[in-house]
Amino acid sequence: MTSARTAGVAGPVADGTGQDVLRDDPQQETAGRPAKPFGILGWLRWCWRQLTSMRTALVLLFLLAVASVPGSMLPQNGTDPVKVQQYISQHPVVGPLLNRLSLFDVFAAPWFAAIYLLLFTSLAGCVLPRAFRLAVSARAKPPAAPRHPARLPFGSSYRTALEPSEALAAAARLLSDKGFRLRAGDGWLAAEKGYLRETGNLLFHIALLALLAAVGLGGVFGYKADILLTEGDGFANTVAAYDQYHPGRAVAPGDLQPFTVWLDKFNATYIQSGPLRGEPATFNASIRYQAQPGDPMRHYALQVNHPLNVDGAKVYLIGHGYAPEFRVIDGHGKVALQQAVPFLPADTTDFTSEGVIKVPDAQPKQLGFIGVFLPTEVAFDGQLRSTFPVPLHPAVSLVSYAGNLGLDSGAPQSVYQLETNGMRRLPIEPQPLFPGQSMKLPNAAGTVTFTGYRQWISVQVTYDPGRVPALISAIIAIFGLLLSFLVRRRRLFVRVHPTGAVALSAGAPAQGDTGDTVTLGGAAGNAAAGNGAAGNGAAGNGAAGNGAAGNGAARGGTEVEFGGLARSDVAGGFEDEFAALAMALRTAHGAAAQPEWNEPVTPDESATKSEDRK
Amino acid sequence: MSRSPRHAPAARSSAVSAPVLAVLAVLAVLSTTLVLAGCSAAQTVQSGPGSGDTNYIRGTVGTTAFRPGQRPAAPQVSGVTLTGQRLSLSSYRGKVVVLNFWASWCSPCRSEAPALAQLSTAYRAKGFQFIGVNIKDPGQANGAAYERSFGIRYPSLYDPAGQVLLAFRDTVPPAAIPSTLVIDRSGRIAARIIGAVDYTKLNDLLGELAG
Repeated sequence: MTSARTAGVAGPVADGTGQDVLRDDPQQETAGRPAKPFGILGWLRWCWRQLTSMRTALVLLFLLAVASVPGSMLPQNGTDPVKVQQYISQHPVVGPLLNRLSLFDVFAAPWFAAIYLLLFTSLAGCVLPRAFRLAVSARAKPPAAPRHPARLPFGSSYRTALEPSEALAAAARLLSDKGFRLRAGDGWLAAEKGYLRETGNLLFHIALLALLAAVGLGGVFGYKADILLTEGDGFANTVAAYDQYHPGRAVAPGDLQPFTVWLDKFNATYIQSGPLRGEPATFNASIRYQAQPGDPMRHYALQVNHPLNVDGAKVYLIGHGYAPEFRVIDGHGKVALQQAVPFLPADTTDFTSEGVIKVPDAQPKQLGFIGVFLPTEVAFDGQLRSTFPVPLHPAVSLVSYAGNLGLDSGAPQSVYQLETNGMRRLPIEPQPLFPGQSMKLPNAAGTVTFTGYRQWISVQVTYDPGRVPALISAIIAIFGLLLSFLVRRRRLFVRVHPTGAVALSAGAPAQGDTGDTVTLGGAAGNAAAGNGAAGNGAAGNGAAGNGAAGNGAARGGTEVEFGGLARSDVAGGFEDEFAALAMALRTAHGAAAQPEWNEPVTPDESATKSEDRK
Repeated sequence: MSRSPRHAPAARSSAVSAPVLAVLAVLAVLSTTLVLAGCSAAQTVQSGPGSGDTNYIRGTVGTTAFRPGQRPAAPQVSGVTLTGQRLSLSSYRGKVVVLNFWASWCSPCRSEAPALAQLSTAYRAKGFQFIGVNIKDPGQANGAAYERSFGIRYPSLYDPAGQVLLAFRDTVPPAAIPSTLVIDRSGRIAARIIGAVDYTKLNDLLGELAG
């Protein structure tokens, strides 16, 4: 029962009563026998015990947290490969070193995997043996009755006119009806109830393992992908369509659900007045989707935290912004670019957005623009500003470049940044352009027209087959935990002695007029305290009880000793249950219905009293 | 101690440690889950468009070639080209088709474009047909300007929503931009190249199929 994982938490049990603790705790055990030489097997066992100890699990957990810190401090290849390259080129000494240590790929690094695999092993290695132990414990029969059940923390004894076997049978019937698990022996009966506690504990442990498995399942068979989608555009759930894609280890490109999503219209509403003016009120993306090619087209209103579910894959709306539309006529008079260019919001309160336009196919020279989009443009102190996130008066301002964009070399580069190394800034001052307005570029480089704007949404597609199993496991784990906390295991023991030699001396004076002598075991402790010694008390009263005992013996009576204890101290409750049971048993045995009942003593006191009694 | 039941202290110590253990275990598992989810959570913060976003999946660059007996059949693919003509892959049965997936803004595509333009001319007489699939490009004008820049004469299907990509899902998914599929004369996929093609390598590959 006692945990194998207490070493780091509860510490060694110092009260000298921790025999069970010592026996169950491998750490204690090894600590207790340091002199024994280890073989290879011994070392392996020692390592395994170290690994599965709670202390190690906590250290690993802490390490995992520490190990994920660089992932948020350094640029990561998974999310931002361009920044990684920049970082390495800016830090020629440290950069390659960090790269060799996988610090730009923290979550895919072997050492990161080592930590969480060890942690998983540690948790599983702890939980699995415990689950087995709990399973055994949940099916165990109660232990044999002690010699004197009445001396247990709760106990009573009385006489009944029934034969010993009849008394036992009656007790068995009663306790069995009350849901106790029984074990009978020669002249005794042991009963235990509250195995649900072990079942709950077992349930908790199994659910914990299932939770681990579910998390692992999601990591191996799930995937996550991101894409930016402009109004009017669509994307298919294929690897090549995505801007970012993070598959689980077992996910092949052909495993992705073959759906396609088109964005028709995105609508964000903002609070128009009051102190919260400009705060977003609603987001709604009208999308169409097809579960697979050839399927009927369906409509869906995609909202924040209201994902679209297609074949288990979930499509989330996670962001939005503006994509001003441009048409660029190059120096040769041809249309070199015509598209809505997504700009990223630089300020989410007024949605001033920034972006770059790359025109790699402009002739004779490639063109590039760094732009700002202002949804509600206001000239303010000679500066352009946006005052509201809704495009009430949209404008763009562009800084123009001509030269080599660096795209034709094949080196990856950000679509939101302009590599100006190979470019020259054109001698034209940025000026606000309103929809429909054009800007003629100097040196006959071409013309750029701001034709309008669209909105874009960013969408995350996630598939996590472990999600539902993880949720179910978590619920079961909590349910099991509650059971194990709320259910108390308690044992009751009944021992019968034929009233011949033994019981004669145990009579109680108060019941002299009935045929049956009753001693309350729990009360006996108190009485003993009062009299100095319980045995004395009983002996002293022996004479008074003689007549009664003689009576009982004549009728073939029985002394019944009845005791109980709760195996865990969930505060209170057992006294009442025990009293009720004792009463019921007494009634079943036809003994006095109204026993003399002293306040039951607590286990601690009774333990002390027992010392007195020795 | 004769009277003191041995169970009581044992039960007590277990009652103390079990909840502690349980709570710690729950914490451990939850935080593990969070941290592991955090691998993704960290990305979620940055997910969506970010300043470092290249906008395309580079994939594992490499060539996969299939022996004649093991070639998967190419799916039925048809659509409208950048110039507005209808095009059906099956109408090229009997020719070796080089299907190249590209986008005008994608730098590896631009770096491989000259090689494709040259090879398409060189192999035309040998019964080879190059076909482009313009994906992830918002508007035909960009694609047309790209073809103009690199002197590409072969047609390209305009596929902004990735429907051609989807058609190849069950065969050999072109899992990056650019990707190139080589389809043999009987309409079976002979090779897949993920990432930019190399002139020499593609030339060798096509040379083997020319006979």
